[in-house]
Amino acid sequence: MQDIYVLAIESSCDETSMSIIKNGTEEVCTVTNTQIDIHKEYGGVVPEVASRTHIENITIVLDELLFRSNFTMDMIDLIAVTYGPGLIGSLLIGLQCAKTISLVTGKPLIPVHHIAGHIYANNLEKRLEFPLIALVVSGGHTDLVYMKEDYSFKRIGSTLDDAVGEAYDKVAKVCGLEYPGGPLVDKLAKEGNDTYDLPLPLNDDTYNFSFSGIKSAVVNTIHNEHQRGNEIRVPDMCTSFQNRVVTVLVKKTMRALKEYNAKNLILAGGVAANSYLRQELTKACLENGINFSYPRISYCTDNAAMIGAAAYYAYKKGIIADQTLNAVAVEPLYNEK
Amino acid sequence: MISLFIDTSTSNVSISVIKDNKILSYINKETPNMHSVYTTKFVKDALDEAKIDANDVDNIMVVNGPGSFTGVRIGVTIAKTYGYLIKKDLTLLSSLKDLAISANCNDVVMSVIPANKSMYYVGIYDKEYNDIEEEKCMKKEDVLFLCNKYNPYIVSISTSVIGSYKVNKQEIDPLKIVEYYLNKEKVSYHKALPNYLKQPQAVEAKND
Repeated sequence: MQDIYVLAIESSCDETSMSIIKNGTEEVCTVTNTQIDIHKEYGGVVPEVASRTHIENITIVLDELLFRSNFTMDMIDLIAVTYGPGLIGSLLIGLQCAKTISLVTGKPLIPVHHIAGHIYANNLEKRLEFPLIALVVSGGHTDLVYMKEDYSFKRIGSTLDDAVGEAYDKVAKVCGLEYPGGPLVDKLAKEGNDTYDLPLPLNDDTYNFSFSGIKSAVVNTIHNEHQRGNEIRVPDMCTSFQNRVVTVLVKKTMRALKEYNAKNLILAGGVAANSYLRQELTKACLENGINFSYPRISYCTDNAAMIGAAAYYAYKKGIIADQTLNAVAVEPLYNEK
Repeated sequence: MISLFIDTSTSNVSISVIKDNKILSYINKETPNMHSVYTTKFVKDALDEAKIDANDVDNIMVVNGPGSFTGVRIGVTIAKTYGYLIKKDLTLLSSLKDLAISANCNDVVMSVIPANKSMYYVGIYDKEYNDIEEEKCMKKEDVLFLCNKYNPYIVSISTSVIGSYKVNKQEIDPLKIVEYYLNKEKVSYHKALPNYLKQPQAVEAKND
């Protein structure tokens, strides 16, 4: 069979990333420009600033990719792009770039859902095996997904309010940690003890999640301590918060694997970089004979490599867009009921 | 000499393919908040109608502002990518000057495009379309000051009044615009950027 090379573009938030991926499994080259230092000054991503920075970098990243990979546009078979969900102004830059490449070169345009990308980041480590359960955890998502085959996504549970990554960032902020705080909470939690009395987040029989309650509990505890004139023990707060969040994520994930009779678990999204979550899932999967995999750190954050991997399987399913493809801020991935 | 004209700075998407001094195709449609959907499609349609291969374009001319931030970015991203692919630098057009050129009135012309929060993007030009004052985003009283000072013919994208001054609606004329810019300086596709004339709100707030 002939090899298929995908040129993939991802610009859904604050990273301008492009990648060339071979046959959905092999990363040829990736170039990513991250804006994190720009947004740090504002304590979070400013959409208009993100969009302005994407347009400054878009052709430079493309040029760098072709230069480093020693590829020419003629050697590319498909053009893939993240069309959503994400920040509209950011998505639009990558989208218009991809549409123009498709227009000028005549190559097919493949629309890729950002979460399909995060899931397929795992395919760059090891070919996915089905049926599988994917735990998707990021700043915008907390979903349990059942996949019976490639590019078939059934959502079995989701967050009812905040995404887990959002809760981490909020807790970091009220603890006075620098943006982006999620990874710092994970780091400090290693040094602390579980001393604060926080509730378990939505510990019920569904596959849904809720993190607004524990988030408010952290905010209230800190507020009360401050009113009493007490200092917060930040590492202890991080440990107490993280322990409860991870306990529920692991518990519901393991139950889903059992109910859906799946022997494979993959972790996806930015919070897949969380060391404690990885550690606890690894432990539980070992005990239950589950084949568990997660992406390396560089594939957890937003990157175009994962979009290129997903695009290959989208294309095999016949998913191709025309020149009227639009970007969408919010869009469910799930194509199976 | 084949020129591709792209303007996404207003509520219209305007695409034209011009060969020498002749319009081969011109698509000008109102697609409010839908530029992201239609712009590349209209570029393709305009090239097809003109029977021009995408790789045979000599000049890519794109309006880089001022105007809707998102709208301008759509046109400029397409032009940058297109320029990169066919290795052609870009001609950056001013939405304000384009209105003045299109008015063709042989007098001092002021172009006014409404920005948000009762601010206006303003340009003022002599008969050769040189800037008399630097293009700026300004308050109404500053617009009126310039009106008093120069007593110009005033054009905009729609009819209105500013104080006692009449503002005339002006359609853009891609042929005149392309002719004017044909021998003007080009900008590398890597360096070509929107001319916003305004900082993002978050940056303004931070600097206050």
